[in-house]
Amino acid sequence: MKLPSIKIKLPKLKIYGIDVIKNALFFAFYISMTLFIIAFIIAPSVKIFKNEKNSYFLSKQEFDNTKQNYQHILEQLTKLQNQNQQILNAFKRNFNENNFKLFAKNYMNIIKITKQKTIPYKNQFAKTSYMITAQIKSPKNFYDFINNIKNYKNIIRVYFPIDFEKSNKEINLTFKIETYRLLTAKAEEKAH
Amino acid sequence: MYSFTKPKKKQFFKEDTKLWLVFYAISVFLYVSFALFLLVKAYFYSKNNQIYNQNIITLNTKISSLTLQKENIKLQKTIYEDIMVKNSLIKDSIKNLLDLIPDPITLNKFLLKKDSLIIYGITPTKDVYNLLMLPPLESIFTKTDTTFYQMPNGWYKFKSINKLKGNNETAFN
Repeated sequence: MKLPSIKIKLPKLKIYGIDVIKNALFFAFYISMTLFIIAFIIAPSVKIFKNEKNSYFLSKQEFDNTKQNYQHILEQLTKLQNQNQQILNAFKRNFNENNFKLFAKNYMNIIKITKQKTIPYKNQFAKTSYMITAQIKSPKNFYDFINNIKNYKNIIRVYFPIDFEKSNKEINLTFKIETYRLLTAKAEEKAH
Repeated sequence: MYSFTKPKKKQFFKEDTKLWLVFYAISVFLYVSFALFLLVKAYFYSKNNQIYNQNIITLNTKISSLTLQKENIKLQKTIYEDIMVKNSLIKDSIKNLLDLIPDPITLNKFLLKKDSLIIYGITPTKDVYNLLMLPPLESIFTKTDTTFYQMPNGWYKFKSINKLKGNNETAFN
């Protein structure tokens, strides 16, 4: 069976030699093609571009905020470090008995320093106890010693037991001190 | 048959059709170029976005480290201040104890512990001790025991053991 052939013959309308109907069809096709390209190529591209642009600016803003926050915290840290330099250094140093004797010489005559034990303190610190046997001329020497211990290069706590015993013109004094040091800090023995 | 005009070649497309096809080609090229331009731009945005995100992660790690350092410094400062206050309290404890001793009584020795105080001294009479020294000791400590030993000159050596109830308390603070 032979299929009937369909022949579409466009009517011809010419104005000044231009085929108006053919050109109108080309124009219509052009519009359709443009709409098709916009719908399936340009619009998705614009969407991807917009999404990426938005997320870029969001990230940039977040980065700027984080950087500002970082700078702020860094400033605070530097300020804290500068304000507490003496304390921070004191926590890093090892206790040196000879140096301590030299410091205490202004207040008492240290006869003996006996190291007792070292135990961890608050996870980050090591606490070492020493028993000090010394002689003082008056209790005021001991008060002055305690007043000035805050300027010493180590962190030292004067602790119990404290034993005062009168002996001729002097007072025999036995007391405990505790020194505190950062566990992570490297020993700065050269500082002594 | 002879013709005076040469035969014209028949064109595959007519002039106006060619124009339309060129116009189509240029338009499609421009549309696709524009779409490609947007995609390339989007790619660079995405790349920079990744860099920013990585930098944010790095900065956040640094911030955590700085915050930890800050907390450590604050902790060290607090411990230092606490120790200095406690040193001062110990000094005041001894000062207060020595201020407690009335004139007629002589102090020979005292042993100050975290929750107790042992005093050795000499008193002219038991009454002087009981009247002048015992009341302030009793007001500070929960338990006070005193033992007297008579000396050849009639005065008394005494040993006073004073204790606090709570283990966390310290004498005279």
